[in-house]
Amino acid sequence: MNKVNKIIRRDLNLSILTGVTMLVLLWSAVFFGDAMYSLKNIQSMTFQIPEFGFLALAMMLSNMIGGIDLSIIANANTVAITSAYILNGQWAFGMTGSARIVAAVAAAVIVSLLFGLLNGVLISRTSAPPLIATLGTMTLFQGIGMAVTGGASVGDIDKGFAQMGKATLMQIPLIFWLFLLTAVILGTVLSKSKFGRKLYLYGDNPTASRFSAIDNDKMCICTFLLTGVLAGMAGLIVLSRVNSAKVGYGDSYLLQTLIVCVVGGIDPNGGKGRVWGVLIAVVLMQILSSAFTIMSLSPYTKKLIWGIMLVLVLGLNYALRKYTNRMELRKSLKEGC
Amino acid sequence: MKTKKLDRFQGILLLIIIIYSVFVAIKNPAFIHIETIFDITRVASTTLMVAIGLLVVMISGGIDVSFMAVALFGSYTTINIMIETGIDNLAFAFVSAALIGGLLGVINALLISWLKLPPFIITLGTQNLFHGIMTTFISDKSFGAGVLPESLHAFGQASVFKIKDVGLTASVLPVLLAGLATWFILYRTMIGRGIFAIGNDEESARRAGFNPFRIRLFVYVYSGILAGIMGMMYVAQTNALYPNKLVGDELIVVAAVVIGGTKITGGQGKIFGAVLGVIIIYLLNTTLIMIGLSSSWNNLFVGTILVISVAVTSYQEKVKNRNNLIFTE
Repeated sequence: MNKVNKIIRRDLNLSILTGVTMLVLLWSAVFFGDAMYSLKNIQSMTFQIPEFGFLALAMMLSNMIGGIDLSIIANANTVAITSAYILNGQWAFGMTGSARIVAAVAAAVIVSLLFGLLNGVLISRTSAPPLIATLGTMTLFQGIGMAVTGGASVGDIDKGFAQMGKATLMQIPLIFWLFLLTAVILGTVLSKSKFGRKLYLYGDNPTASRFSAIDNDKMCICTFLLTGVLAGMAGLIVLSRVNSAKVGYGDSYLLQTLIVCVVGGIDPNGGKGRVWGVLIAVVLMQILSSAFTIMSLSPYTKKLIWGIMLVLVLGLNYALRKYTNRMELRKSLKEGC
Repeated sequence: MKTKKLDRFQGILLLIIIIYSVFVAIKNPAFIHIETIFDITRVASTTLMVAIGLLVVMISGGIDVSFMAVALFGSYTTINIMIETGIDNLAFAFVSAALIGGLLGVINALLISWLKLPPFIITLGTQNLFHGIMTTFISDKSFGAGVLPESLHAFGQASVFKIKDVGLTASVLPVLLAGLATWFILYRTMIGRGIFAIGNDEESARRAGFNPFRIRLFVYVYSGILAGIMGMMYVAQTNALYPNKLVGDELIVVAAVVIGGTKITGGQGKIFGAVLGVIIIYLLNTTLIMIGLSSSWNNLFVGTILVISVAVTSYQEKVKNRNNLIFTE
């Protein structure tokens, strides 16, 4: 019992999150039964998770260095548009078949890296606050997408690429495996590598990290490069799933990614949080989302619930922090006597 | 020295506006018509109202992205009350909307003070919360032109003065009043000093005897009141009311205020700058078609201007800080 207690205590936030997720899983099993846990529904959920999950991972990284990246969705959409133009042959330069797919993926990576680089350079070199800098780049990326497409959706993409979005491995979509793999790699990098250590330190206190011989500018640019690539991956997944791309797809994801990060134990002030928490939070979010769809709630009600959820979780985190601080204080006082 | 530098920034903005206007006028002489100018004023007046409220919030070091939801909440609830009870009074409409806006502002201020988290995340939450509460618990019906109170419609159509049958909208009056009131509060009262003080450094302000909680409360309530009034002005102008309008247009107002030279970390910002920012955005919005570009180019230009202006203001600040050996990021 003591051991269990110790494990729970070690990361109270994560333990509570896991508990809540299990409760929700149980609740939805009792209420919806087969509607929720049929193979078909699980498959459709695992189809929906990756695009949102990649965006959530991107938001998580930017939150971990104490910033925020508003441009991820605009980034994803513009990347999807670029790839769609290559895949439907308009910008293919005579390439056909699989060459087109390779070119589209390469273009997606390059464009998203460029976007990330712009964010990183802007924020590190000029010390612009991430919120405003990425608001600017968000408008800019959207603007590029709008100027190119004129607001229309770009479709008619290569059949082979569309198949990739539908492909499954052991009944589970390929894109979901891709998401899991990325999350595991990212988690390992953050918790085990030197880069991860530096990232946490930089996020917790940038001034201290600067005086600890960490190259803050490099850290910032690297983080936003990663954020950009993750957002670009989300864009590719959207394209492969929906088979078309347009400006303004998934605007409501901004709030949802922030909720997932907060629920997953990421401190928006930086320096705290783990991929594991975000992963559980993404699953929780998707189950709730599916439950709302089964209950056929109106988009307004969903909005209300997301809003309540964000404020509630922030409040709970605050109460929890206060409680643990008091406990630690009491403990240290006892030891002092 | 400091004020001089600021004026230079605003001077550049003004110069950009003038050069762009001349360029548009040469390309398309229709631009210099008084109608176009009055039309831009009419559309921009509502945005200017919330921009002023947001400016005050940003000077205090916070940010508010819930004001459009507050505006919608205030006007929508008031209109519902007016239609149900049959009150048809302009003063009641504005006072009620402002009161509701102020109340929602209190909620914002309390949450931000208690949770001590980035105001952006909290107001993003309350934005959805307010909008959700309104549409779920009050109503999500749309109101057409016939049902709305007559006095509001009259206000929306009224004009201050007329030049050749084209009138300047009466909406500029509340905006002008709000601008004057804000100027007075910011530069002539202790609250205004407090707003600048906690924007620059909250801890220093606290030690100098300011009460950050009270100032924050004032700031968000003020923003809420202006938002409520703006919601009413919007209803009067469009003469229709939908539960899904306004919300979602917050960020462009934030962009306008930032382009006007307001520092998001607080302590710096001018009303005139916010006015210039709003003018630039609406100028682009309405004139891109005149110079032969489709309106889809709008975001590209606004984004470019925003990125450049953020880069310039932040870089100046960074250089100043490094010269003083301040190494906060």
